[in-house]
Amino acid sequence: MGEASTFDDGARRCLIRLIQRAFPHSTFPEGPYARTADVILAQAGGNIPDAIAMSAGLASLDAAAGGSFADADDATADAIVAKATDAPFFALVRATTVVTLYNDAEVWKLIGYEGASFDQGGYLHRGFDDLDWLPDPRTEEYDGPDTLVVVAAGDEPAGTEGVR
Amino acid sequence: MAGKTESFGKAIDQNTEAVVIVGSGAGGGTIAYELTRAGIPCVVLEAGPFLKPDDYENDEWAAFGQMAWLDARTASGSYRVARDFPNLPAWIVKAVGGSTTHWSGATPRFHEHEFRARTYYGEVDGANLLDWPITLADMAPYYDKAEIAIGSTHRHGRPALPANNNYKVFANGAERVGYKFYATGPYGTNAEPYDGRPASIQDGFNFQGDKQTSKWSTAVREIPRALDTGLCELRTECQAVQVTHDASGKANGVLYLDAEGNLHRQAARIVCVAGNSIETPRLLLLSATGLHPNGLANSSGQVGRNYQRHTTGSVYARFDKPVRMYRGETMAGIIADEARLDSSRGFVGGYYMETLSLGPAFLAAFIEPGGWGSDFTELMDAYENTAGMWIVGEDMPQESNRVTLNSQLKDKWGLPAADVHFDDHPNDVAMREHGYSRADLLYESVGALGTHHTPPYPATHNLGTARMSAKPDDGVTDAWGQAHDVPGLFVSDGSLMTTGAAANPTLTIVALAIRQAEYIAKEFAAGSL
Repeated sequence: MGEASTFDDGARRCLIRLIQRAFPHSTFPEGPYARTADVILAQAGGNIPDAIAMSAGLASLDAAAGGSFADADDATADAIVAKATDAPFFALVRATTVVTLYNDAEVWKLIGYEGASFDQGGYLHRGFDDLDWLPDPRTEEYDGPDTLVVVAAGDEPAGTEGVR
Repeated sequence: MAGKTESFGKAIDQNTEAVVIVGSGAGGGTIAYELTRAGIPCVVLEAGPFLKPDDYENDEWAAFGQMAWLDARTASGSYRVARDFPNLPAWIVKAVGGSTTHWSGATPRFHEHEFRARTYYGEVDGANLLDWPITLADMAPYYDKAEIAIGSTHRHGRPALPANNNYKVFANGAERVGYKFYATGPYGTNAEPYDGRPASIQDGFNFQGDKQTSKWSTAVREIPRALDTGLCELRTECQAVQVTHDASGKANGVLYLDAEGNLHRQAARIVCVAGNSIETPRLLLLSATGLHPNGLANSSGQVGRNYQRHTTGSVYARFDKPVRMYRGETMAGIIADEARLDSSRGFVGGYYMETLSLGPAFLAAFIEPGGWGSDFTELMDAYENTAGMWIVGEDMPQESNRVTLNSQLKDKWGLPAADVHFDDHPNDVAMREHGYSRADLLYESVGALGTHHTPPYPATHNLGTARMSAKPDDGVTDAWGQAHDVPGLFVSDGSLMTTGAAANPTLTIVALAIRQAEYIAKEFAAGSL
């Protein structure tokens, strides 16, 4: 972003679609996918081997779709993705997606994660123990009649009876 | 933050023969505190910066970038980490406090039989088992001291932490499958104010450093107290590169690089190496001399060998109702029922089950490395309804599981990086599979819709690479942690562990360090060291 981009808008749209089909979430809008694509393109643009692999990889998706992977129907796109996942450029896409798409505040909200909490007093008074579909368990250690048998009878070495 | 060497505490001249401690974590920080309060001057060399609680971040990747040890390293061998994370064999901390900064806090003790693994487990093919030169009886008083220092819940009058959401699922499942020995601890985080630090506010951030300081770490307890004695100098962003010895073979100094790469030498009365179980053997191997051609203290050939990382695995279970596992203490839930020796299960050694939560950012990276597609995204979509646990058990020491100097990869100073080679032992695999199956039963008993078995993460428990032994041929140090073949050289971290036991190691590292410090002080007083 901001710099002279190695990749044109068609490549960017292609990549967004790839991430959407490889990491499908029905609740996610395009925004988090687009932000992830931009991070991937910025990284790949930073070194020549990755830039070549990415350009060629995205072009191969378009070629497989007969023109535009971004505009292919879902079934066609998924079939193309399934054949692309062994390619080195997909490894780049995957590796960056898992640390970027799910490190996005909008995604956190969508999947039910609340992010930083210390500045709000943690969850002590905000539901750290609000699960109500199971009974409240004991928190103390067991103090009933049984003791943990730390060595089964058959595992006592000869001559060390009673050692614990 | 990074990039500048700073000095804290009372300046000590580089020519003054102090106790020189390499590393400020569970072992090094404890040694520094125990020795300075006994009146013995110490210089602590810490490779990382002095992060303070205000610096810690409630953000997984930001915190990882801030404190993880990210210097050049390699992982090799047949274990999956070598494929998925080839440059991150271990997830440990490079900062004052070492990995106590990001530890979660579980503090079980070792069992008696775990100090005598060779006797109890017998001859296990491919395993280099050995009995410890000490017993639980030797350790018991130091376990007490360590639990009091840490403030372990459920011990010495410290109250239990309350049940958080993840624990409610975990403990109810434990009860339904017939486990009895479960609780929210023992756990090294205050349930009520203790030792000058406040109670937990259940903010859910442990692996990122605890901003509240309810969690014990040497960065909030031992190191500040050592500095307060006026007998300790802490130098940050100083990377030890060689331990030196005199003509008689006695350790007498440490060469180190400051943040700008300037080489210094600190004279030493004795040296305590506590760089965690990868850097400690690396430093010894880098310290080869004519007298020690295969690395310092390596007459036995055991330096770097017997590397253990614990047999681990995680299980994440999906439910039809919310869990919100990320709220509250990350690991305040422990089941001990499987932490026993019963070879009828198909393996020797035992394992604990412990609650575990990751945020979406880390979960996506680790839940199924290499994963994609709807199988993967279903796991992430279920985040709010997911409960998690960690399986942690004893792995077999193998001579070929080993930290060596990488002949090709160098660190930023041009010194050989560490390579960590690891192959799972069949016993490790059998234990992991058993743990997965028991975790499935546990979660299914409380209505799980599905479970996912996550492979081991980069190691947080690194053990055994300079092990204690009764005989000099079998290991690197004696029963006090002093090198068999280098007087005045001590190892003061988890590298000492002859075998790894099932328990999380921090409590035992602290107990061993307190015991070692007491020995050093006594020997100094007697003039024999």
